[in-house]
Amino acid sequence: MRARGFKRGGVPVDHRAPFKTGPIENAFLPMNAIVQLREHRCAVEPIPVVSVGQEVREGQLLARSAGKASSNVHSPIPGIVRRIETTRTSGGFDSKAILVSLEGSFSMLGKRPERYLWKSLNKADISHIVQDKGIVRVSSGEPLYEILSERSDAPGFVMVVSALEMDPYRRTEEELLALRAEDVVDGCAIAARMALPARIMFAVDERIEPATLEPLRELAARSELDIAIQPFRRRFPQDLPGQIAEAMDIADPGTLFIIEPSTLVALHEAVVSNKPHIEQYVYVGGGSIKRPAILKARIGAPIGDLIEECGGFSGHPETIVIGGPFRGRAAADLDAPVTRTTRAVLALSPEETKSAPERPCVRCGDCVDACPEGLSPYRLLKLLRSGRPDDALAAGLGRCSSCGSCSYACRSRIPLVRYFDEARQNEVRR
Amino acid sequence: MNCTKLELRSYPPFIHDWKTSAKAAWICSATLVPVALWSSVLYGRIAVVTWLTAVAAALVAEAAASALTRRWTLGDGSAVLTGLLIAAAMPPGAPWYVPVASAAFAILIVKAAFGGLGANWMNPALAGVAFAYANWPAHMREYVLPRFVAGVDGVTAATPLTFAKGLAGGLDIKVMDALRGASYPLSAIDGAVTGFLNDSLFSRLSARLPDGYIDLIIGFKPGALGESALLAVALGSIVLVSLRLIKLEIPLAMLAVFGLLARLFGTGLPGEGFLAGDAMFAMSGGSLLLVAFYMAADPVSSPVGRGACLLYGASIGALSFVFRRWGAFTEGVAYAVLVMNVTVPFIEKAATGLRLKRGGVA
Repeated sequence: MRARGFKRGGVPVDHRAPFKTGPIENAFLPMNAIVQLREHRCAVEPIPVVSVGQEVREGQLLARSAGKASSNVHSPIPGIVRRIETTRTSGGFDSKAILVSLEGSFSMLGKRPERYLWKSLNKADISHIVQDKGIVRVSSGEPLYEILSERSDAPGFVMVVSALEMDPYRRTEEELLALRAEDVVDGCAIAARMALPARIMFAVDERIEPATLEPLRELAARSELDIAIQPFRRRFPQDLPGQIAEAMDIADPGTLFIIEPSTLVALHEAVVSNKPHIEQYVYVGGGSIKRPAILKARIGAPIGDLIEECGGFSGHPETIVIGGPFRGRAAADLDAPVTRTTRAVLALSPEETKSAPERPCVRCGDCVDACPEGLSPYRLLKLLRSGRPDDALAAGLGRCSSCGSCSYACRSRIPLVRYFDEARQNEVRR
Repeated sequence: MNCTKLELRSYPPFIHDWKTSAKAAWICSATLVPVALWSSVLYGRIAVVTWLTAVAAALVAEAAASALTRRWTLGDGSAVLTGLLIAAAMPPGAPWYVPVASAAFAILIVKAAFGGLGANWMNPALAGVAFAYANWPAHMREYVLPRFVAGVDGVTAATPLTFAKGLAGGLDIKVMDALRGASYPLSAIDGAVTGFLNDSLFSRLSARLPDGYIDLIIGFKPGALGESALLAVALGSIVLVSLRLIKLEIPLAMLAVFGLLARLFGTGLPGEGFLAGDAMFAMSGGSLLLVAFYMAADPVSSPVGRGACLLYGASIGALSFVFRRWGAFTEGVAYAVLVMNVTVPFIEKAATGLRLKRGGVA
């Protein structure tokens, strides 16, 4: 099938960092797990149901969801609750965190997973399990039961299972499609039972291995679902809803419900194996990591532990990033914990960041060529700097999706997207 | 939100394109090195002195501006580039104070006084050259023949363009024959290359390249330092375009419009009819190529946006033709760019058709 792509702008990501494929390894259990209760700036904080000094089992409920966008949080390891305190997350907001020290015996590890037949469960049963097990959408941190029930109220949408990872590093979702295709398609069926999409589309990279694609195609054909597999061109930010809609000639990106294979695997494990969301597939890589790999890590594990498992640093990393290189966040230190939205940990070398001192705009127009929304970032910046946010909004600032293509391309290394984000935050506050 | 300095440095995206403003300026400068070398071969010591004084003066001026504004800006490479471009527009053997004054004017008045790199609305190098033309018209129009052509240093001669301009109408001869008649020697290289091209390539297309054009292209003619190395300039332009360092639309539109107009209306030479202008003579003489790729396409003083760039380039092409064909001097290209620099805000607005409620945005 012909690969589709968005029409203008973007950044080519042709080269992918070398990476050895193979079975996904389980990361070592952390000695101390720091479990963040909020995944999202706007989420209501879940209420802790354990107290300091209490012994907890692996998978025991630590905090109960308490309103919009909050989800149940479970203990990733067996142990003792040492501290409950508010910390600053790498996302830049404050959240309560529960520190659990490893102690006692394991109930899940090494045990044969339970296998329930989910087909007999109805929508309400599944929804209850998903809420109970604290499954969140890995790409956004929103509770899955919440967004799925919102969708089921407005049928006629397209469920996009997006294995698109538009940067030179990550390929977790593609690996999951290769290694756990059955679970992904099964998870897809579970989600479809909850939300009833009009159709389902698997969005894959145009250069996906045929060895991955063929079994997936067979599974899709065998399932009772209406699944299409659509390749997309490898160009950042093809993975954003707006660009997927543009590539598919769909006018309203709101009719797309985007979910990624890793979320479907978590959903599948919750429903079939009764497992809470305490594990996360994390790509550990970047030019300063000795042996890049995908690790199945426990929530709360410090990213430093994962880096050590991948052979540690080679050379001196300039930045350590949690999430993708375009839209991720800088890690404050190596103790930053893995959360349910940590999809990658990247240690980037100076050759990759190519950082340079900020200089004045030289009007080269590279940002205009890079913007996938057809905006003129240099002009928006000029308007904002001369104190005219209303004119900037009139010139299309509201259409900016913060993808970061302009900042990537800027010759003068002006953090354009940072100014745009701040301007819009001020706008919301007004 | 608390925005400490650390957060400012660590905002996504964390990876960047290889291009930086400084790298772009240094690469541009590097592509001018072959031009400097070739002109030095052609003219010897006088050329070397002009290149070095222009660059040194630009660096000193930039350092002075840095000291005044307390912002160290020598590393961004723009000063060296400005110096090189000024030297490229100098006639060989111009007195030392001409490039020095031009560079100082370009960097201190045109660039620094308006707020430094990125804030100048005129191309500094071109403004410096125009300054020199205005101040020392005699020095700026005193050209010598290259050593190879004359056999000795310092034989004064008019540039082919000036010579062609001086040809009175009515004489029904081609400009090249007229040049020969006025004792411009034809080099052996020209004879050999033209003969080879005619025998191997053009004869099959039943065309014939007249003698003399190869001399124009390799610089065996009187001219400014940058003009004499047309091949090196072309090579540098290819590097700039293939690295996507300049807005290609500008030189393309400029050369296309200029060439078309020259073909249509002639270059003012005798023996040219309507629709039969000597476009090749017009394009290969003077500093058209250098100005097109290095100065008109300078990002800071040119518009942003494909449509705006095409309009801007086409206007420069048309204006240069008008200035050169009917103006007083042959070097109208520089003035055409300067005139269009001033109109950039209007061009951007016209091309994007944007209307802003209060005032304009330049």
